[in-house]
Amino acid sequence: MAEGFDIDHLAKLARLSLTAEEKALYASQLGQVLGHFQALAKADLPATADDARVVDESALRSDEPGPVLGVEAVTRLAPASRDGQISVPRVVDDES
Amino acid sequence: MADALHELSAAELGRRLASGAFTSRALCEALIARHRTLNDKVGAFTHLDQADVLAQADASDVRRKAGQGRGPLEGIPVGIKDNIAVKGQPLTCSSKMLAPLVSPYDSHVAERLRAAGAILFGRLNMDEFAMGSSTENSAFRKAFNPWDLERIPGGSSGGSAAALAAGLVPLALGSDTGGSIRQPASHCGVVGLKPTYGLISRFGLVAFASSLDQIGPMARSVEDCALLLDALASADARDMTCFGPSGRALTPAGDARKLRIGVPKGFLGKGVATEVAAAVNAAVEFYRSQGCAVSEVELPSADLAVPTYYVVATAEASSNLGRYDGVRYGHRSAVSGTPVEMMTASRSEGFGPEVKRRILLGTFVLSAGYADAYYVRALRARAKIRAEYLAALSGVDVLLTPTVPTPAFKVGEKAADPLQLYLEDVFTIPANLAGLPAISVPCGASGRLPVGFHLVGAPLSESKLLAAGRLFEDAHGYAHQQAPL
Amino acid sequence: MSQAPSDWEVVIGLEVHVQLRTRAKVFASSPWGFGKEPNEQVDPVVLGLPGTLPVVNREAVEKAVLFGLVVGAEIPERCAWDRKNYFYPDNPKNYQLTQKDFPVVVGGRVEIELPGPSRNVMGEHRFVRIHHAHLEEDVGKLSHAGGGSLVDYNRAGVPLLEIVTEPDLRSAAEAEAFLRSLVAMLTQAGVADCDMEKGQLRCDCNVSVRRRGDARLGTRTETKNLNSISSVRDTVLHETARQVRELEAGRSITQETRGWNAELARGYVLRDKEDAHDYRYFPDPDIPALRISRETVARLAKQVPENLYDRQRRYVEKLGLPYTAASVLVNDRALAEWFEAAVAAHPANPSGVANLVANDLLRDLSAAVPPIPLSACPIRPASLAGLVKLTDEGVISKQQAKEVFAEMFSTGNEAAAIVDAKGLRQNSDTGELEKIIREVVADPSVAKSIAEYRAGNEKAINALKGPIMKRTQGKANPGLVDQLLRRILG
Repeated sequence: MAEGFDIDHLAKLARLSLTAEEKALYASQLGQVLGHFQALAKADLPATADDARVVDESALRSDEPGPVLGVEAVTRLAPASRDGQISVPRVVDDES
Repeated sequence: MADALHELSAAELGRRLASGAFTSRALCEALIARHRTLNDKVGAFTHLDQADVLAQADASDVRRKAGQGRGPLEGIPVGIKDNIAVKGQPLTCSSKMLAPLVSPYDSHVAERLRAAGAILFGRLNMDEFAMGSSTENSAFRKAFNPWDLERIPGGSSGGSAAALAAGLVPLALGSDTGGSIRQPASHCGVVGLKPTYGLISRFGLVAFASSLDQIGPMARSVEDCALLLDALASADARDMTCFGPSGRALTPAGDARKLRIGVPKGFLGKGVATEVAAAVNAAVEFYRSQGCAVSEVELPSADLAVPTYYVVATAEASSNLGRYDGVRYGHRSAVSGTPVEMMTASRSEGFGPEVKRRILLGTFVLSAGYADAYYVRALRARAKIRAEYLAALSGVDVLLTPTVPTPAFKVGEKAADPLQLYLEDVFTIPANLAGLPAISVPCGASGRLPVGFHLVGAPLSESKLLAAGRLFEDAHGYAHQQAPL
Repeated sequence: MSQAPSDWEVVIGLEVHVQLRTRAKVFASSPWGFGKEPNEQVDPVVLGLPGTLPVVNREAVEKAVLFGLVVGAEIPERCAWDRKNYFYPDNPKNYQLTQKDFPVVVGGRVEIELPGPSRNVMGEHRFVRIHHAHLEEDVGKLSHAGGGSLVDYNRAGVPLLEIVTEPDLRSAAEAEAFLRSLVAMLTQAGVADCDMEKGQLRCDCNVSVRRRGDARLGTRTETKNLNSISSVRDTVLHETARQVRELEAGRSITQETRGWNAELARGYVLRDKEDAHDYRYFPDPDIPALRISRETVARLAKQVPENLYDRQRRYVEKLGLPYTAASVLVNDRALAEWFEAAVAAHPANPSGVANLVANDLLRDLSAAVPPIPLSACPIRPASLAGLVKLTDEGVISKQQAKEVFAEMFSTGNEAAAIVDAKGLRQNSDTGELEKIIREVVADPSVAKSIAEYRAGNEKAINALKGPIMKRTQGKANPGLVDQLLRRILG
């Protein structure tokens, strides 16, 4: 089941950069953990997991506007800001 | 008098504060003084804003004087795990990632405590983002077991348990995703309760695994634990998964001698240390001697609990921790370049090894081509485990096991072996998977090291767990125990 | 740019993102709206601060359900939210809450009207099937300044309904007609304002081409984030031509995500399939599945307005309106309701009412400076009906009606009062009129005209009417004058 464990791909998906040592370590540790997960692959399980809690409409929020943080608080939290906006390195179109 | 204040239970402190024996300010000053001498040894707190604490204490004293006391917690300090938001205080989750963050809002439990007149007392150390069983994963400082300073206090709420055992605070909040309240409680000889999922609002609890996380009370006695639980539990419209106590009392209730106790078949055979098994067996015998019916129960899918937990918890964590990217708050790397490079560098610098490991694992079990084999199967296994537990709990009132298979290990002993650490949680994990309430109560020692037993009950059976715990506690000498420091 | 050559067929499916008309955001209580300073409409939940949790806005759910009922969709008993995980600076949690497996709306169809051969002639009608519609959150806005980018999270968390069609559209004109019809339905039901200038409606457009008669669909491309109907039309036209060109040159179409530059009228590749995201969808553990009661559905069903084209058919078939007037009236629900209120006050002549509303009234409202909205119209529906009634009963002439209308529009007074005040009431007293006519007929100066009339020249009678109208200062009812004159002349 642990076939295809591609540490480079996962690191990229998770937005983590790993050193060669880290890659080797995590790959081996995760391989071991996934090995332990074999029990899950073999188990006889119910066809669905439809046990999620369901709420009715009373759990919904009414459409009443509430307080906001304020621009000052937002920019104070941010590592970098400019003119009330949060600044980041330049985004190239659809870099994601 | 001030010397002894740290030894009193919260209930006793409440009575004496009410009688005017001392003020909240005097109590807080005494605890601050103790903090100065002991916290460096124990590493329980990562932050204590003394001015803020004393201002809260003064306000409490003014209220009390004006006859406007807010109840049994008025003026009593409560330590807060550093993953629970308190307005104006750090909210670091013991992570470098959130080191710069000061919370601009109060969690629901912080609001509840303020409304009860309690003093929000400092920030308690923890495993980074609550991932760990030893508090060794704190990015700021290690915490140590007050009973043996070479050993871990457990985790992730290790700071909470250590603070209680060291007499640094009478009450503490922890959070529990797979045992993070109960395991350190067991290791430090205190009481820790993980409530029914949805009893206490998660609003303001930094998410590790949202479907498993619950805030819970920790204390040096069952009675104190109940006192704190009662203050915390209430419905909250800001958490759609929270329904509150639904009208049920949360204090110890019913005749614990009539409880039917189930002992899962084969549980004591699994890597459980001899002294732990002996202490837990003695607890079983105690309940039998009190008139409780003890029977063996079958939980056929018990072996699935750890893998199921680690798939579900890491999957949710990989998504929950996505928001830490250096854009809006927290740590931002000096590496610029593109946004992707900046985010990647910020995350790589901000997260510690265990957090990265779990993010990678969670990313894998959700990724295209693997989600069905891992994540989806884990959800199905979770449903099966929950069904088995509910079935077992229809025949008995509580299930009794050790809380942890072995006593606290030495700092660094298991750090290199994540799988061994993951297996620490084998007894505590099912309650999270099934959303059930569970409590760890001290029941003996292995040498100097405390050992606890673990009770799991049906949804919203907290009062039964507390009653059972108190019955044991009243007959034994473990309540209010503190480590000799 | 021309349509696809006739041996090619284009197949289009749209994903329309509409901001729902709510006051607060979809999972947070922060307000939202146009024209605020950046990051003014942000609370801890919107910013994704650690520890915050989403709570679904009831109004957003109800607007989504209402849309479903407008298009005749199924509203499943349960809907649920999932997390779509991807990193982007405008995405505060780096996951978007959306509905992947259990959307709030399933199925439904939208009737569309294609352009007719001329403005006065109705075009063909068709139905476009809706696959589903799901309720999700909008993301923030990025802008570029200097060497970096700036993020404004005001838009983050605004409720978005994503409406996904089946691949039922076959031309740019159909896509355009669909969007116009959809916008009319959304706005008429109060689900959304669809103000495209404010980015309240944005489209992803899936286009593929195939040889006519081919049952299999061709490889499609998806052009993202089109913010006007004309961009959708232009994208379809360009993309169709591009794909046909590629295929005719023997090349194949790459399944890719594209963008559209409206200024340059040019499409471009954003990413190809190999770069497709792995969104790692999973059920959001913070939002339990939601049961929508049948009582709520029944209550909202009562709010569904009459369908645009049902109304149009009723106006043409039952009220006898010309298509041109009917099509103008039904596009705006308030205008149609205004018209119907006027008809209720004077049911005898809907076309006469429609003519005044669709032409004179609309013209004067929009010509005013500043333009007057219908809600502030100085004329009430019943007053306009009164004017039509006075004309129909011959009390004033059509020519006089124009004058009275102008007076009503500027003063807000009733038609009858204006007619009386200006002394415009036509003379219908046959006794006096007959006396005047006999005097005019007796005048030797008209003898020649009378002779001609009697000799069979119908038009000659008109020469007599001028002097009669003059003698009555124009107040005589022309119909009555004609009738009496003919009788007197035998």
